[in-house]
Amino acid sequence: MAETICRSLRDGSLEGEQAPALTIKDSLQSPLGSHVFDHFLSTLVSHISAGRSQASGLVLVAFNRSPSFYLDLFKRKGLDASPVDKSFRILDCFSDPLGWKDRLVDSASAEKSILKDSATVFKNVRDVNKLSSSILDLGNGFIGEGKVRFAVAIDLVSNMLRHVSLPSVAGLLNNLRSNDRISCIFWLIHSDLHEPRASAALEYISTMVASLEPMMQSSDGQKTSGSLLWLEENSRKAKFHVRLKRRNGRVKLLYEELHMEQAEIRFEAASSVKTIVDQNLLPRVQFNLQLSDKERADRSNVVLPFEHQGNGEAIQIYDGRRSLSEGQKDPHLMQPSAFSHKMDAQSNNDKGEIHYIRDSDDERPDSDEDPDDDLDI
Amino acid sequence: MATAKDPNPRPVRTSSSFSRNPSSPSAAPASPPVPGVKPGPSGAAFVSSGIPDLDKILGGGFLLGSVVMVMEDADAPHHLLLLRNFMSQGIVHRQPLLFASPAEDPRAFLGTLPSPVSSSKEERQRAPGLDPDAKDKEKGLRIAWQYKKYFGERQVPELHNRGIEQDFSNDFDLRKPLERQMFRTQQIDCVSIQDTANLAVLHEHCSTFLSDLTRNEGCNVNAGRIAIQSLCAPQCGYSELDWDMVSFIRSLRAMIRCSNAVAVITFPTSVLSPSFSKRWQHLADTLLSVRAMPDEDKELAKLLTGYQDMVGLLHVHKVSQINTQVPVILEATTFSLKLQKRRSLILERLNQAPVDASSGTSYATSGSCSGSSKGSPLDF
Repeated sequence: MAETICRSLRDGSLEGEQAPALTIKDSLQSPLGSHVFDHFLSTLVSHISAGRSQASGLVLVAFNRSPSFYLDLFKRKGLDASPVDKSFRILDCFSDPLGWKDRLVDSASAEKSILKDSATVFKNVRDVNKLSSSILDLGNGFIGEGKVRFAVAIDLVSNMLRHVSLPSVAGLLNNLRSNDRISCIFWLIHSDLHEPRASAALEYISTMVASLEPMMQSSDGQKTSGSLLWLEENSRKAKFHVRLKRRNGRVKLLYEELHMEQAEIRFEAASSVKTIVDQNLLPRVQFNLQLSDKERADRSNVVLPFEHQGNGEAIQIYDGRRSLSEGQKDPHLMQPSAFSHKMDAQSNNDKGEIHYIRDSDDERPDSDEDPDDDLDI
Repeated sequence: MATAKDPNPRPVRTSSSFSRNPSSPSAAPASPPVPGVKPGPSGAAFVSSGIPDLDKILGGGFLLGSVVMVMEDADAPHHLLLLRNFMSQGIVHRQPLLFASPAEDPRAFLGTLPSPVSSSKEERQRAPGLDPDAKDKEKGLRIAWQYKKYFGERQVPELHNRGIEQDFSNDFDLRKPLERQMFRTQQIDCVSIQDTANLAVLHEHCSTFLSDLTRNEGCNVNAGRIAIQSLCAPQCGYSELDWDMVSFIRSLRAMIRCSNAVAVITFPTSVLSPSFSKRWQHLADTLLSVRAMPDEDKELAKLLTGYQDMVGLLHVHKVSQINTQVPVILEATTFSLKLQKRRSLILERLNQAPVDASSGTSYATSGSCSGSSKGSPLDF
């Protein structure tokens, strides 16, 4: 399932359509979102540097972690440095988002930038228009043949929402999506850092939503040992739900489990899949009028309580209060052996039992009297 | 009680309502019929929604003077199908149109409007009982009670009505775009609501549009159509001003009530807070909602026939009831959206596939989670 996401990020957008957008959502209870983001980022960068993807480059807008972290990340993953340099740009909104360092009188104490040229420091996060134009400028710097498209990754939209309002952020993301130079765009949010309305708005804009849920839900009134176990579980594993909006208007729901092993992520197929059926949609009528073969065999085995069984035996009046036993002159006497024999025979047909109680003893056997004839209206 | 002959018998509305008797001398001279507007009982007038099935379900179409709201599903763009058909129908009938959308260039959306299906041969095949082949096949079926003779009388006027129905509502071919020349003589006003900080601009456009409609006095007062897409989309500048949006809808509703227009507003409910979502739903006269279907869901494929062709689901919550005390009681409220031959949109009642009884799980005990894990507040 994560493969599906990587593939759609790699393939990018079609002509005339908006770019696919992925939202990665996590919460305090399952805090592995940053690792998932790193995983997708590094996969996409490796695709880009190998030339396998539609995008020729990637612009990373880093709010949450410093650019050097990302460069180290790529080194750790074994990506070559020079192709990465060519196709990777960072817009650094982490070091000085509000431009405070410029306002410091003592400018000599400003740190020297040890970053390579791939990172551009952005100092005015509150200006959304400037942010979007910087992203586009950085993207324009990529060279390639034909129409150059680039991908955009935003480290933490939750940080962006701290500085600007939701409509501006939504407008920025929407504009980026509709820009025909953008191949794909993805971002990470921590869903408990803002109102559910903001998460809903971001999910509305995106075409793929990947949410992380804790493996074990916390229970109220937890004991210390229970909560430690829960913390440990949830810091290493999570449930990975993906909702894909497909082009034909249908939604694809996928589910996987996620394991963290030594800072590497591993996606596994789910152990148990819940089937989800929308029960409220459909009417309640439920009748199956066909019989299966087994049911037909059972039906033919049922002994119907006709007094005339049609097989030449003497007519027996079934009392209804005693079981039928053959060769019995006195129906009031029950012989245990015959009784058990009959019960055995009947127990072979598991479901085919018909109990018939006669209305009255006066009735002649197999009479076709209509009981309604007695009515005197 | 004067009951005039209703030329289009519709089984949904009863015939015991008041309608103008043209033979009485005191009646005003009948106005020439406006194309695309169908008169209904109690002085109501209907315009077609662009989808003939939906018109039948709603008992005639969209009522002039009402506000239709469509609740979008965040996962699927089916509300655009409804909007496209609505707008194309207006253009085909030469009715003025106002379109507002949160895109940068709303005019681009006009390029995706479908054009009407030209021939009516396929339409006749869809109507039951009118196909001569089907009639021959049915003679072979012997039915004890002769109910067919009662049906025969109803079928004959249907043939005549086909021509009239064609004028009122068209089937649209979603694969063919509407011809450019249709746009030239049209009054189409497009507004982008994306960067606006408040709704004053949109309000201005709506009021000038509606006053222009009534200004064309004379015999033919044309019906107008307003289509607003995704009114509370998160990228609109005013999307956090909840009360302003509610006031806008209320004033739009008031303006439309006393004019000859219909407004269709679509909005994504997941983006609004639950209490405001409820307020919006109450402001609607006709309330529809579209819902996405899960893809490749084996359970659903077993439960519904025709699952492969279904694009989505349409649910009718409320049907407008202005000037009448007789409500439209629907036999079914959930319909599936299907694309017939990949081009025209049809709505069908959900048909349940025969269930395998030996599987053991009866319907009442099967999994009761809703189809989407987000748990929308509108679990109908």
